[in-house]
Amino acid sequence: MKALKDYGDDDLELARDILDKQVVDREETKMGRVDGLVLELREGLPPRVDHIEMGGVVLARRLSPRLERWVDGWRRRFGVRKVARYKVPWSAVLELTSYHLKLDVAALETPNFDWERWLRDHVIEHIPRPLKGKKE
Amino acid sequence: MNAKKAATLALGILTSVGGFFDVGNIATSVQAGAVFRLQLLWPLILGTILVIFLVEMSGRFAAVTRQALPDAIRTHLGFAAWLGPFLILSLVHFLVLGAEIGGICFALHLITGLPVPFWALPVAALTWLFLWRTSFSAIENSTSLLGLVTLAFVVAAWLHHPPTGQILAGMLPTLPHHDPVRYWFMAVSLLGAVISPYMFYFYSSGAVEDKWDDSYIGVNRGVAFIGMGFGSVISLAAIVVAAVVLAPRGIQVDDYHQAALMLTQAFPFWGFVLFAASMAIACLGAAVEVALSMAYTTAQTFGWNWGEDLDPREDTRFCLIYTGAILGSALLILFGVDPLKLTLLTMAINAAVLPFIAIPFLLLMNDRKLLDKHCNGWISNGITLLTVLLSIVLAVVSIPLLIKGGS
Repeated sequence: MKALKDYGDDDLELARDILDKQVVDREETKMGRVDGLVLELREGLPPRVDHIEMGGVVLARRLSPRLERWVDGWRRRFGVRKVARYKVPWSAVLELTSYHLKLDVAALETPNFDWERWLRDHVIEHIPRPLKGKKE
Repeated sequence: MNAKKAATLALGILTSVGGFFDVGNIATSVQAGAVFRLQLLWPLILGTILVIFLVEMSGRFAAVTRQALPDAIRTHLGFAAWLGPFLILSLVHFLVLGAEIGGICFALHLITGLPVPFWALPVAALTWLFLWRTSFSAIENSTSLLGLVTLAFVVAAWLHHPPTGQILAGMLPTLPHHDPVRYWFMAVSLLGAVISPYMFYFYSSGAVEDKWDDSYIGVNRGVAFIGMGFGSVISLAAIVVAAVVLAPRGIQVDDYHQAALMLTQAFPFWGFVLFAASMAIACLGAAVEVALSMAYTTAQTFGWNWGEDLDPREDTRFCLIYTGAILGSALLILFGVDPLKLTLLTMAINAAVLPFIAIPFLLLMNDRKLLDKHCNGWISNGITLLTVLLSIVLAVVSIPLLIKGGS
């Protein structure tokens, strides 16, 4: 990881400082949150964070396995989001600050943006758009 | 203070017009004045003090951490802890949005005579178009400027030469002379109308939209005080006018039609139009604020891209949330839900859910790791705890009163 800002001498806590944190891509587009953290247990060595997981199914699992199945059922029915759990290896983390976790990916190409893309192509493109996002 | 910072007052007024002097306040203030004259000014004063502190805190939080509240609560307290308050907040957003859209429809009904449900879809389209087309600062500026129409209530109150001594006396809590159940129910509703739980969540997102940083901490204090003070003065004036005009005639305001005539004594020709215009504008400002607040909260909860200044192509899910919320709550009005009844119900619900919304907020305001030296002091904590305690009492009291006293 290239940058670990704002943490100074404090201990970094997985649940407090990483789980649920805002995730952004290379361009700092907000692309989801750290919905799950997966550790790798190694013989004779301390556990290590293997990858982070993102997706509604991951969130639902944190509440109950039944809810997870239910959410996954709806995901399949809509058929927009193809990958239930988007997994990103810890090695792709570029930066960890007190307000975000930056990944070395392009948000638009990830499963997290399946719905965003679908809505854009099927709905937003058909409505006359205002000239926003060009100020300052 | 430079011009950009002075312009932040617009956020305060928008929050105030939207969250403070909205359909709930018009309904509760007018009823309170009509039935109890000047005796129920104190819940408004109490609510205003609490709201100034809460709004100041949420602005300070956003200025120091550059984060809005829903964002920070999910990050620091976790998904499981935030889910409950989030769902409650979403329900409140939805019902209040319905009440506000109903308020605009009612104002249009007053002017045109066409039935309220007729206006549901055109009003939904107008509200949506406003959000779709304009930037955040344009929403702030136009709403705060148009919101000045509501000053008509203050002018009217002034023209009626209300008894100053009685006004001051009404600012201190007293026991009711008649109808105790109704009295306490109205005190609860007034507080619920003032302390709208979505207000400080919205305000913090607005501060992030306006890119506040540490240098806004002082400005924020002024904005909270003046913005909320603005809403409070107008609500006070509405009670005074109702007390002077409606109460002596025995009009108890069982529906908005009776309220509509309250300004006609002060402004014989324009009074009716001014009432309708104030109502339409206050409710439109509120509808825009609540719809945005719902989109902010949802997008931040799930980490989606959000921002009223972005091209809709870049935050389609954010746009989908406000679009869906507006359409869904307009359907309530289209299918004939009475705007006044919906409003009074949502005010009582507001009071009931406040503890769930305020406690996570209070936890964050005391987090040294996040706020460092800008943490809450004992005064802010005391005020918030008082609010939480008060709202628990209100919750316990308001539900039976809603069933027993109603209106």
